[in-house]
Amino acid sequence: MSALLEVREARKSFGGVHAVDGVSLSLASGEVLAVLGHNGAGKSTLMQMIAGALPFDGGELLLNGQPMKFASPADSRAAGIETIHQKLALADNLDAVANLFLGRELRTRFGLLDEAAMRAAALPLFARLNPNFKNIAEPVMSLSGGQRQVVAIARALQFQARVLIMDEPCAALGPAETAMVHDLIRRLSAEGVGILLVTHDMPDVFALSQRLAVMKNGRLVGVCRTADVSEDEVLAMIIAGKPPAV
Amino acid sequence: MAAVLVAIAIGFHALTGSFLTAENLYNIAQQTAVVGIVAGGMALIIVARQIDLAVGSLLGAVGVLMAWLQYTQGWPVLAALLAGLGFALVVGLFQGWLSAVVGIPSFVVTLGGLVSLRGAAFLVADGKTQPVTEPWLLALGGGLDGSLGERGSWLLGAGLVALLWGWQFAQRRARPGRRGQELLQAGLVALAVFGSVAVFNAYRLEGQAEGQGLPLPLVIWVAVVLLLGFVARHTRFGRYVYAIGGNPDAARLAGIPVRRVMIQLNLLLAALVALAAVVAMARLNAGTNSMGTGMELTVIAAAVIGGVSLAGGSGSVGGTVLGALIIQSIDSGLLLTDVGIGWRMVVLGQVLVAAVVFDRMVQK
Repeated sequence: MSALLEVREARKSFGGVHAVDGVSLSLASGEVLAVLGHNGAGKSTLMQMIAGALPFDGGELLLNGQPMKFASPADSRAAGIETIHQKLALADNLDAVANLFLGRELRTRFGLLDEAAMRAAALPLFARLNPNFKNIAEPVMSLSGGQRQVVAIARALQFQARVLIMDEPCAALGPAETAMVHDLIRRLSAEGVGILLVTHDMPDVFALSQRLAVMKNGRLVGVCRTADVSEDEVLAMIIAGKPPAV
Repeated sequence: MAAVLVAIAIGFHALTGSFLTAENLYNIAQQTAVVGIVAGGMALIIVARQIDLAVGSLLGAVGVLMAWLQYTQGWPVLAALLAGLGFALVVGLFQGWLSAVVGIPSFVVTLGGLVSLRGAAFLVADGKTQPVTEPWLLALGGGLDGSLGERGSWLLGAGLVALLWGWQFAQRRARPGRRGQELLQAGLVALAVFGSVAVFNAYRLEGQAEGQGLPLPLVIWVAVVLLLGFVARHTRFGRYVYAIGGNPDAARLAGIPVRRVMIQLNLLLAALVALAAVVAMARLNAGTNSMGTGMELTVIAAAVIGGVSLAGGSGSVGGTVLGALIIQSIDSGLLLTDVGIGWRMVVLGQVLVAAVVFDRMVQK
């Protein structure tokens, strides 16, 4: 199986601290790989490196077998890697349509914002993700957490992401909204999108992921198939840094 | 805020009997223009979570430079104005670079500019007043010969209404709204424009055959506000300014060239200050080293009273028109009621505070 995304011996340090220390991971097309670890384990740093927000100090990143060097998030996005940040990275004062196209606005032939075209493209997309989502012309600060998550996921979908990095997508969501986001993640993975799911939430891990990777102090504790381990074993990996028995 | 402005106008008219006269409204319109032109740009700067405290000093430096080049150096008028614009843009580029690229807070950068540029305004002509005499330049300041006349005012008013109606019609495609609301809006636009024209046409100076019509500073101000409002709402640059103000991290992560937008924004404000300096110089018939003193606070107050949030991300260019008019109306009204300068300043300062308090209460 050729990997969609592969990280080899990734390294990053801040001052003398090795935030990411020789981590290797691979992600297949249509796979959900859960990335776990304590706060400060290096998950977020690694994800930011993959997303092009932080440069690699050492190691390399391959996309479809091709070595990539990203100078900025725009580069990695152009290559098909989208990130949904924990804080969602939405401009709260703009509406859902404006956020959907933020940084990639459609324009008329006069160079002006083409509101009509953006709205027309946004309506079916939002409807597909959540049929109840109607208030797309309101500032997103007035939306619920689940609706904001829909906007963030729609951003990634609109631009044909091949790899999706999701940072705590279900944090601060109610049960119904969590179920909706789970459903979305399964559909994306069925469409062949590779998903890196960064989370603390065990139900998310066991409901969604095929494999899981655990990090501690910047190093990889281990990677295993989710079906092969119990919740207690995963917790042991996270807390004690104990590699899985399998 | 529109209601507040109307209440202020009626209140002062009741007190003085001379507030709502064509003459007084004409004077308020042309006095407000200089602050209003700059306030439109300041609104966008504040929306993007920046501030510019140097606008008043820059206006002084640019104004005296333009006048000095004409009067002492004998430059052609247009060349002098362009040199002033060039100077303003260099200052804007420098300040924009310091805050956007080097990362110094704009408050600090422009606080330095506030002091230094006032010094520069003194240095240009060694503190001497530089008179300007070119008739077409003086006309830009309004006054006796600086207006469109009755016919010109009706024509421009009709053109403006046609433009705004046409635009409103074109916008219906993108955002269909309620029919009744649209008709009401179209009606209000026509009423405001033609009403203003009628008022300014009714102002006739002694010995003049016809009314003054729209003063040129007002025409320039309206043009600036329409242009900036359009840029804010319908261009990618405008969208980015609001996105940066709403969530700078999101803007950066979305691939918005934040630094470039910030520098462009500083250049835009600098160009507006240069334009305002031309109008201010024309009104004074001279460039002096003290012009624009304290104007930064009036401009910021106009933006804030007009609904621009100092936290960034919200507010509009159009709102600054109301903000600027409210400040000028209170100042002018207190002057008419023979209130001394001390009390005028006391009241104006608290009006700023009251406007923000009022805004908070309405928001809740």
